[in-house]
Amino acid sequence: MARGAAVSLAVARIGAALLAVACAVPATLAYAQSSTTRVIPLDQLKSGLAYTGEDVRALQADDFANPGMLWVERGEKIWNTPAGADGKSCASCHGDAKSSMKGVAARYPAIDAKSKQLLNIEARINASRSGDQKAPAFAPESEDMLAITAYVNMQSRGVPVGVSIDGAAREHFERGRAFYYTRRGQMNMSCATCHEQNFGKRLFAETISQGQPNDFPIYRLEWQTMGSLHRRLRACLYGVRAELLPVGSPELLDVELFLAWRAQGLKGEAPAVRR
Amino acid sequence: MAPRPFSRLHRTACARPAFARLLATLALAALPAHADLLPAQISADSVPRPLTATPGDAAHGRALLLARENANCILCHAIPEARFSGNLAPPLDGVGARLSAAQLRLRVADNRQVHPSTIMPSYFRSEGLTGVAAQYRGKTVLTAQEVEDVVAYLQTLK
Amino acid sequence: MADARIQIAPQVKRGDSFEVKIAIRHAMETGYRVDDVGKPIKRNVIRALVCKYNGTEALRVDMSSGFAANPLLQFWLVAGNSGEISFEWDDDAGTRYAERAAVTVAG
Ligand code: HEC
Ligand code: HEC
Ligand code: HEC
Repeated sequence: MARGAAVSLAVARIGAALLAVACAVPATLAYAQSSTTRVIPLDQLKSGLAYTGEDVRALQADDFANPGMLWVERGEKIWNTPAGADGKSCASCHGDAKSSMKGVAARYPAIDAKSKQLLNIEARINASRSGDQKAPAFAPESEDMLAITAYVNMQSRGVPVGVSIDGAAREHFERGRAFYYTRRGQMNMSCATCHEQNFGKRLFAETISQGQPNDFPIYRLEWQTMGSLHRRLRACLYGVRAELLPVGSPELLDVELFLAWRAQGLKGEAPAVRR
Repeated sequence: MAPRPFSRLHRTACARPAFARLLATLALAALPAHADLLPAQISADSVPRPLTATPGDAAHGRALLLARENANCILCHAIPEARFSGNLAPPLDGVGARLSAAQLRLRVADNRQVHPSTIMPSYFRSEGLTGVAAQYRGKTVLTAQEVEDVVAYLQTLK
Repeated sequence: MADARIQIAPQVKRGDSFEVKIAIRHAMETGYRVDDVGKPIKRNVIRALVCKYNGTEALRVDMSSGFAANPLLQFWLVAGNSGEISFEWDDDAGTRYAERAAVTVAG
């Protein structure tokens, strides 16, 4: 018996070494060959709206009942309220958002000409808020941040998502893509496990969508409030028991760029309603 | 986090004569921390020997399958008489007739050893994972005893 | 700032009933939830909401934690004179809110 145990343990040790080697291979098998090969072809992209229920679709379509419109309205007030050292409002410099902000959100995340950083629309608004308006930046995920983004993003309703992954954006895209296809968390799942291999199927009671970013910020019934794309991503990370990255973190920004590239051509739908 | 040189599995699996236990402890100390199922425990597509000395409790196993904060198998699998369930995976109805306890044990503990590209989490594996939240790092989803409980329940699905 | 939105038909006919809708941005915090670090979140729900039509009380709703966040109320009134529909409400935190909208009656 004792000898048997020793022998099998010796085997076990070798086995364990092999196992460790196997584990060192990145868990990113689902990768397409070229980094710009699309797993979901452009003509098969669908917004998350297609995977929610009739009730949610009706709520989103009704501009009065859609609770997200409460934030849009608050955002419009912020747009027109003077703030900062020179007492200027967003409108003082940008005029009517309906024309000046039309299609802007659809181009973000983008590399900022001044700082050379990758900024999403929240960060771009804040750069203008503190740099141009000289007012205190909006806190991440605050009511005002959500309100002004809802207002700005709504001006891109119907405008196709189209981000650039050229130049300095490219390395962010590659990192975002690697993040997307890496299995993570104690549940060991990648974003693609759910949103590319299993969309349309049910995870418990929830129908999985393609995980598209074209309609944020969203009013989520489960949250009973508005939330940003990064908040949604944190909910997905939480679900697989992975490390929660902060809203606005470089990793989430990179994934956001990848998501936007992946969503190319989907039309803006902010503010959306989700379960 | 409390240091865990080896998991409960290794202790119980080797808990036979005192001499063997001593050897086992020495040998295991050389293994990477938290190695989960040992390759030696796996034979073809199964884990023939129970992970613990206490037989599995099928009723507790069923509760685990349904528990939102734990195994949560019904995220993906339908099981008999569950009100809701996901459909990412085949229903588990009849699985106890299709697969032996030994085969079920490996599928629950580490289904990746059966289907390398499976989407099913490995419930008794803490190694080889990326970006695990701090509170779960180095821990398996289920304990060895819970794996036995789940296997006991799956065996009733004939 | 923009705590509510009111919707009324642009013009209504005397004697006809018309629909009034109000959507209110309010967390309706039940007092049963905890925040990210496990601290209980204090209850804060709207207590009472009163709607007046040209100064006369037309509707009073006693609200409770049974209401979802950001409640939407819709109801019907009978058109009398042109004037205004006003709303007032307060919550557990002691904040008082008011919002109004004009109503134009023809005939
Ligand atoms: C275990 C399955 C699962 C994994 C893994 C997962 N998600 Fe999700 N995700 C969901 C579910 C369920 C929803 C809510 C329903 C829906 O819209 O798909 C969701 C929603 C989303 C949405 C919002 C879609 C919308 O229209 O409202 C985005 C974007 C998203 N996920 C991106 C990601 C990214 C990026 C990752 C990887 C970091 C990820 N998800 C990992 C299950 C998952
Ligand atoms: C003092 C003038 C000024 C004020 C006030 C101001 N901005 Fe700007 N903003 C600018 C300038 C200048 C630019 C850069 C020029 C450009 O790219 O159009 C800019 C750029 C932007 C952009 C990026 C536009 C794009 O096409 O990529 C956004 C979004 C933006 N501002 C939002 C806001 C918001 C929201 C506010 C109010 C909270 C605001 N700005 C207040 C001057 C201002
Ligand atoms: C994320 C989805 C998912 C979860 C959660 C999940 N499984 Fe699975 N499971 C699968 C898939 C998919 C298969 C099909 C084979 C494969 O691809 O691995 C499977 C296969 C199985 C099989 C083999 C079935 C057969 O007929 O061969 C068993 C047994 C099983 N799962 C049990 C469980 C138990 C018990 C749990 C909870 C402790 C669980 N699964 C949780 C996805 C899941």
